[in-house]
Amino acid sequence: MGDGPPLELRGVCKAYGPVRALDQVSFSLRSGEAVGYLGPNGAGKTTTLKLIAGLSRPGEGEVRVAGQDPSRDRRSALAHAGILIESPGVLPYMTGDDLLEYSARVKRVPLREIGVQQARVARELGVEGVLSRPLGGLSTGNLRRMLIASALMGDPELLVLDEPTLGLDPAARTELRALLRGKLREGRTLLMSTHLLEDVEAVCSRVLFLRNGKLLGDQSLPSGEGADGKGSGRAHLRLLRPVPEGQLQALVRDLGSLKEQAPRHLLVLYEGGEEKLAQIIAVLVQNGISLVQVGPGGSGLEERYLATVGREEDP
Amino acid sequence: MNALLANARWEARRLLRSQRVFLLLIPPVAGPVGSALALLYFHVSSHPIALMLGLFVLGGLGALVTVDLCALTLGEELAVRAHLALFPLPQHRHEILLGRVAVVLLGSLGAFALGAALTWGTVDLLVPVSAVPGPTLLDPFHLFLGISCLLLFLGGVTLLSSVLVRTASGALVAGVLAGVVVASAGLYLALLHELTLAFPLVLLAVWGVSLAWAVHTYSTLES
Repeated sequence: MGDGPPLELRGVCKAYGPVRALDQVSFSLRSGEAVGYLGPNGAGKTTTLKLIAGLSRPGEGEVRVAGQDPSRDRRSALAHAGILIESPGVLPYMTGDDLLEYSARVKRVPLREIGVQQARVARELGVEGVLSRPLGGLSTGNLRRMLIASALMGDPELLVLDEPTLGLDPAARTELRALLRGKLREGRTLLMSTHLLEDVEAVCSRVLFLRNGKLLGDQSLPSGEGADGKGSGRAHLRLLRPVPEGQLQALVRDLGSLKEQAPRHLLVLYEGGEEKLAQIIAVLVQNGISLVQVGPGGSGLEERYLATVGREEDP
Repeated sequence: MNALLANARWEARRLLRSQRVFLLLIPPVAGPVGSALALLYFHVSSHPIALMLGLFVLGGLGALVTVDLCALTLGEELAVRAHLALFPLPQHRHEILLGRVAVVLLGSLGAFALGAALTWGTVDLLVPVSAVPGPTLLDPFHLFLGISCLLLFLGGVTLLSSVLVRTASGALVAGVLAGVVVASAGLYLALLHELTLAFPLVLLAVWGVSLAWAVHTYSTLES
């Protein structure tokens, strides 16, 4: 990779006629970091990714990939990047083999390594059995995986993926998340734009919230919160019978806080590790509250998303 | 150079996979056969006239093949948005365009040249060179060069249209219309005995301009 962070945007603005698609967007990714890029439809996510890929130029500001401007110095900027934007169409008669080989050749993978890398990436994505089939005959999931495989050719340092799990079945989504986590362990950097918050929770350590072209939040996402027995934690409790939130809150106010997500469904927020959670559960049970299920409370990304970005119909 | 070759290779593979490569067989196969049928039907006895007729038949076929292949080269990808998978790769867009176009244009011209050689041979077989030479509008060799320029011109115009309208069908229509207009203009000038070297040179110049325009437009496409 070149000088500078793997990816950096400084004061980027982009307008399409009177519509301001991006307004003073600035952020940068550190090497080895996985960042989720979230926002409602039309927030400007894909526009940002197009600027990163050099498909369009910012009206104002700067985009730097590995220290280079991708709209000018494409070769050096994108030499170590694997990018999948939107849902590209495919030529139905071409095969996965053709696509991966083309990608490898353009990325200057040495000729003797192309076949080996093609086989490895196809195996990682689970498409080795359909490599020689025409792309037009592949299922939506397999086609998506083939396009991701194409982005992964050349072992890119930076991955920029737009809705990577779109059209994948649950098993394939889980596999892809595991693959991305593996790439992160190898030191790769990831920017992932998606609507699926659970994908971000499973893979990313940081999240950016975008709405109406403006960056509204840049927050860290603690992974495995509370699991280490230290720090803050969240748990989901399901009660046998509904109990007023105020009454429950009064019982545990010295130990943590409770939020009613739905009747009989509580989110418990606590500090001090799992011991504190055990105390909260004990207090509730001692006070005659019947619990039927205790589970992880997640990272609270959905709440954060709604709190930061709001609902789709909000002005 | 690397990206240029990768794109040329991709286009060649694409011609094979889509079976459009068989279109390149039309000029060398249908050209001589069509010419032979025309010569026999019209009882042509002049060797130069027979050659001219053969090259006209061949030129028409070659023009259709050129227009078809050039329209599909970029028009098809832009229509189905397949370019979104290619543009984020570390390559300049002019490399994509020139690599692709080189294969189709050279392929079309090569097929036409081979067809011309076979047509020439067919004419030699059917109409003896010693036959009475009739008055011809054009020297056959000049006509061959002129048609080659016409094919380049049509390739450039069709390619530009495909980038501007982003569909293969629209580009195909534009290419056919351009071909009809230029062929009519050429014939008109020939009948007036005013068809000079300037005509194919203008076609070459238009080819250069349309190719440059197509490269510029393709390089600045935003989505």
